[in-house]
Amino acid sequence: MSNIPNQDTSFARGEGASPPKLRMSAQTLSNLVAVYGLLFVFLLIMLVFGLLRPSSFFSPTNINTILVSQSVTAILALGLMLPLATKQFDLSIGYHLGMAQVLIVGLQVNQGLGWPEAAALILVASVLTGLVNGLLVTFFRIDSFIATMGSGTLLYGVTNWYSNGEQISGMDLPESFTNLTQIFHGLPLPAVYVAIIAGVLWLVTERLPVGRNLYVIGANVRAAELTGISVRRHVMGAFIASGLLSGFAGIVLGSILQTGTPSVGPEYLLPAFAASLLGATSIKPGRVNVLGTLLSVLVLAFSFSGVQQLGAPFYIQYFFNGGILVVAVGLSVYAAQRRQRAATGAKPRAA
Amino acid sequence: MASDMQSAIEIRGLTKRFLSTLALDRVDLTIGQAEIHALVGENGAGKSTLIKILAGLFQADAGEIFIDGRRVNPYAEAVPISFVHQDLGLVDELSIGENVALVAGFPRSGGLISWKKVWEQAERIYKSMAIDPPDPRLPVGSLGAAGKAILGIVRALSREARIVVLDEPTASLPGPDALHLFEVLRRLRESGTSILYVSHRLNELFGLVDRVTVFRDGRLVRSSDIEGLTPESIVRDMLGRDLELHQAQAAEVRAGVPLLSVEDLCAGNQGPLSFSLARGEVLGLVGLRGAGHEVIGRTIFGAHPQSGGTIRLGAETIAPGMSIGARIAKGIALLAGDRIGESALSGMSVRENLFPNTQSVAGGLLTPIRTGREQQQVADVLDRFDVRPRNGAALIDWLSGGNQQKIFVGRWLATGAQLLIMEEPTAGVDIGAKRTIHRMLREIAANGAAVLVVSTDFEEVVTLCDRALVIGRGSVMADLAGHALTMESLLTRSSMTSERPLPIQ
Repeated sequence: MSNIPNQDTSFARGEGASPPKLRMSAQTLSNLVAVYGLLFVFLLIMLVFGLLRPSSFFSPTNINTILVSQSVTAILALGLMLPLATKQFDLSIGYHLGMAQVLIVGLQVNQGLGWPEAAALILVASVLTGLVNGLLVTFFRIDSFIATMGSGTLLYGVTNWYSNGEQISGMDLPESFTNLTQIFHGLPLPAVYVAIIAGVLWLVTERLPVGRNLYVIGANVRAAELTGISVRRHVMGAFIASGLLSGFAGIVLGSILQTGTPSVGPEYLLPAFAASLLGATSIKPGRVNVLGTLLSVLVLAFSFSGVQQLGAPFYIQYFFNGGILVVAVGLSVYAAQRRQRAATGAKPRAA
Repeated sequence: MASDMQSAIEIRGLTKRFLSTLALDRVDLTIGQAEIHALVGENGAGKSTLIKILAGLFQADAGEIFIDGRRVNPYAEAVPISFVHQDLGLVDELSIGENVALVAGFPRSGGLISWKKVWEQAERIYKSMAIDPPDPRLPVGSLGAAGKAILGIVRALSREARIVVLDEPTASLPGPDALHLFEVLRRLRESGTSILYVSHRLNELFGLVDRVTVFRDGRLVRSSDIEGLTPESIVRDMLGRDLELHQAQAAEVRAGVPLLSVEDLCAGNQGPLSFSLARGEVLGLVGLRGAGHEVIGRTIFGAHPQSGGTIRLGAETIAPGMSIGARIAKGIALLAGDRIGESALSGMSVRENLFPNTQSVAGGLLTPIRTGREQQQVADVLDRFDVRPRNGAALIDWLSGGNQQKIFVGRWLATGAQLLIMEEPTAGVDIGAKRTIHRMLREIAANGAAVLVVSTDFEEVVTLCDRALVIGRGSVMADLAGHALTMESLLTRSSMTSERPLPIQ
């Protein structure tokens, strides 16, 4: 697991700082809540809905459905994390996902390509798209919010140009393609992809210099430059990675849906942001991180599934997602202040 | 000139104590109508306390203040004094007229802002002070340095104030711009405005101000007409002892090749200048606030474009276009002066702040970080430099400024830096941390590195450095070492910078 929680507990023991005993236990508690809050919430959700709907909530069908349907959001959110770590937005991921999903079906159906060729083409295009986003932000110095909103809208144009705005039916898609997202020996394959991507990204963000550099850039660009970090190269790399993963998520989505639908894609944008940002409230409070992002996807998906099984209407989902995001971020800000107060014995400084 | 008229401000017995320090001790001061009155003294002499009392930021412990003969308490009521601080507080993106209106108010017609009246108001206010107005529709960014300073003053005076306090208005003004500003100040005086003028540049007072007041250790030691005074006599009053005129002499050349040699370096408005720095040496690069001498250190580090000259590290020439990363790999380090803005990684741990770029310590971008070894090194630094709390997992934001600064100095120990450029290494840190940081730097130098201290804090330079270069108007005004390196010599050399270096006596 991440080394930071371990360190945080060592901090909670008060090495060097030696705060009074009573405060120490309060500090330990607020540290635990801050670091593992999301995990507690997840376990609570499993417990509550597991008790209320034991047979359906824990049924393999339900769990597999959730894992498959959430894998796309999870891949997007993990990719998005990298630009977010440097405090840059990538708003193009939703449209990017949509384009890849239409092309993976379309290139097979209309152009007669095999799925590996189609997938390779799409991934190359995704890398190029990420490169363009990176160039717009680093060389042309366009605010990433605007640059990626623009490039995303362009991608949406490409999608609709290619498909003429019509759904591409994937009736004759080869089994080798649709099997990519099947359940294999009881394991939903999309969840396996998520696990592999998460593993790699965890290594990158937690254990490799390149990952720390991304966080350093996000914390203070000027300080990053003055410690010799090549900010442009790192930001560019983050956008390329986010583009590549958006394209991959689109291929996965195409295989799940087995049709190319031009209107699909944009609605994945906000859930991906919600998961990344909600993830930043836990495990490593204050910064986007892999485990927090995964937990957030699971918390949001399982809580909605549970509420739905209790008979709540579909729109409750939105109240849930929005509510959890606001409440969790609010609580984490409060927890950060508490921790600082406990650590320094002083009022937190104004930001 | 105007001292026989009724006074604009009359201060009697003003006293202010902070804990055990007497910041102002029974100060009596009179500022006449339509006079330019200089306020000088070292940092901490009491000037800023006086100004902050006038501004209503502090309440005086004792004493009376009269403005136009009426007794006032600035802490409790608004007084007709305008304040222009060094940073001016202008909004560059907005127009000149809007910047005026931010203070003077937006004139309206029918409840809505009337832009025509906004422009007219700005022009009217400029003209009322006998100053040619710029086009009020232009953005402030289009004004030069002097234009901005004038706008700051004009705007401050738009509230019908007849008294204005200028806090180091020329600190960052190039020479000709300063002359333009002086012309405006003289015109303001003619129109009846009283100006309290705070400056560290003593020679610019002559020909501009009518009276000079000198503060030392919270006391007013002189308040008199400027006629009959000289820069030397003012320095003597500021320091309270007889000025020893030192023969400025170059530090004795050390054995061996210098680690850093700079020849005819030009960058920004600095240069051409040349100097060298040996291993084991701590060299001060000193100037007044706003002298721009920090550009020299930044250029050596690669954080500011170099426009001419050569920089050599050991036998190797550092190419002007070399990246910061490459320079760090060669052993150059820079501790940036703006701790929060340029050093701190807010929201990250002390450990990460100590190792922000692990590439520069060991290995490439994809070599795994050895957390265990890092933690060991962090514990080492925390112990050696007495950082509190002694915990590498604490967020940097939780540390006091002094402890943060120890971490940022420590950051460069791990990179094996040979040349450490330290900008204001102890600005805003407490005395204990200051001592520790000085000890760190002396240790680094003793171990064979060279340290360049870029500073405006003369006291620090005298205690910390072996040698100091006084920089003024972009060139080396004096090279002081040994017995010649004293507060007096630094103060004299830097505060009398003019267009030409003063002849060395």
